[in-house]
Amino acid sequence: MADVKLTIAGRPYDVHCADGEEGQLIQLASVVDEKVRTMPGGTEVRQLLFAALMLADDAQEARGKIEKAEPQSDSLRAAVALAESREATARDELQAAVAREKAALKELETARQAPQHSSPAVNPSNNRALLQIADRIEALATKVEQLP
Amino acid sequence: MELDLDESSLAIGRIERALSRIEKALTDRANRPAPTVAAPAADQSALKAEVAAVIGELDRLIAEADRG
Repeated sequence: MADVKLTIAGRPYDVHCADGEEGQLIQLASVVDEKVRTMPGGTEVRQLLFAALMLADDAQEARGKIEKAEPQSDSLRAAVALAESREATARDELQAAVAREKAALKELETARQAPQHSSPAVNPSNNRALLQIADRIEALATKVEQLP
Repeated sequence: MELDLDESSLAIGRIERALSRIEKALTDRANRPAPTVAAPAADQSALKAEVAAVIGELDRLIAEADRG
């Protein structure tokens, strides 16, 4: 235990506290002392009573602010979690789509090369479609790269 | 404009490179910290619709190529 000498409203008080808490106790006493000094006139007991009431009011107001802020921060946290989960889902879906496109492209290449041995003729409309797909996938790549 | 086999190979090369760009962009996104502002849901839906449309078009081409 530690002994601390406090002065509140001009009167000295000897107080005991746990070791290491002396600084905090002195700081709390200075808050009370400051409050008491703002109470003009009256007896010392009256000044201490009003200081205690003012401090209780401050504490209640602070508790009210915290209670009001808690639901807001809860809903913000929930919104952030939801946005993150949606983004992760979208990213997974896009990655799966890319994998499907790669597989499809491989199949297309295989199919394109297979009939070459029996028939060297090329279907120009298929090739045109392939070129259009290349344009669209390149545009997609640009969009994905520019996602925020 | 008519395309021959070499030009279709070029088109496939372009598709492969674009897919690699998409993969890289998605991997980079997964590895960086979450953005404070996510892409609007409408943009994501449009992107998904376009991906689905391109896959559908590729499937159609494959089916045609399979039929010879």
